[in-house]
Amino acid sequence: MDCYSFDKIISDYIESNLNLKQRQAADEHIAKCTRCYEKLADMVNLLDTMKSLPRYKTRLDFNDRLMARIDRHNQQKESPFIRVFHEYSRVISVAAAALLLVATSLFIYTSVVAVNNPSSVPSAEIRSIKPGTNIPRTSASTHPEFVNSNGENTTPDTSNIENPGYEHNIMMVNE
Amino acid sequence: MDKVKIKYTDEELIARFQQGDERAYVELVKRYKDRLLNFVFRYLNSYEQSEDVVQDTLMKLYTSAHMYREIAKFSTWIFTIAANLAKSELRRLKRRRVISIHSMGFNDKEYEIPSEAYNPEKETTSSYGEKQIQQAIDTLPDQFKTVIILREIQQLSYEEISQILDISIGTVKSRINRSRLRLQKLLKELKEQ
Repeated sequence: MDCYSFDKIISDYIESNLNLKQRQAADEHIAKCTRCYEKLADMVNLLDTMKSLPRYKTRLDFNDRLMARIDRHNQQKESPFIRVFHEYSRVISVAAAALLLVATSLFIYTSVVAVNNPSSVPSAEIRSIKPGTNIPRTSASTHPEFVNSNGENTTPDTSNIENPGYEHNIMMVNE
Repeated sequence: MDKVKIKYTDEELIARFQQGDERAYVELVKRYKDRLLNFVFRYLNSYEQSEDVVQDTLMKLYTSAHMYREIAKFSTWIFTIAANLAKSELRRLKRRRVISIHSMGFNDKEYEIPSEAYNPEKETTSSYGEKQIQQAIDTLPDQFKTVIILREIQQLSYEEISQILDISIGTVKSRINRSRLRLQKLLKELKEQ
């Protein structure tokens, strides 16, 4: 037996859990290895010391504090709100889980629809209008404000109106 | 006529408590509060926090007694609860210590020793002092710390430890051996400092 093997069985040696053959091998090793012999003696001493370490006691008011906690717990259990909550806790949890599931499904559904069919969702983009560019007024010709009682288009002629000399940022909505 | 005092086993007491006998609970508290305190104290090295953990454990016993089934010893069950609560508390304390070290500086770390008012029953005469041993236990990794306290301080059997930690007896044995060697090495290093 070498020192490494002795380390592995040192606890079994102390607690007499070795068979005769192993015990003899260990005895032979510690008879010639001072390091392992000292280690064994030191370990036995350490374990004895640990067994006799001071024992601490709970404080005198420990039971009173515990009983006060139990009283508080019992009072809480008796309060009508808590009682109802406990009684229906399973139903409440199931309802909350169902609500969460519905909300999540709805969110996923709308996201999927938006990805697959972008035209169904209005989108917006910002375009820059350079100075001097005519701003198209295509929708104005059909606007009821510019149609007279005979159905004629009275849209004012704006073709000669130029964009003023500053840049506009206009939000164009694709319909 | 003299009153005959019947000594109930822990398992009988918990069965009586499960049937609504609160005196059985009081008796279990009396039997276990100090044992649990000594286990948790060696684990946390803080008297105040350990007492709180023992209170939580016994509170859990009160509220969850119906969960106990007589497939395990009562002591195993209650130590399992205490060990889990102590582990959570240790994690919380470690986080708090990290914060306080950052705010206080490394040299101000406090080492808590219980006050003399709590009357230790024995003084040690060995070459190892309690303070040194506790310091070495604190340094052990969690898995070694738990087995060494359960075995060397609580004097539980390998089988009980195996049930509490939910590991095989072979693992318990090898872990105990490694913990002892590690502890011995740590104490040697502490002595040399």
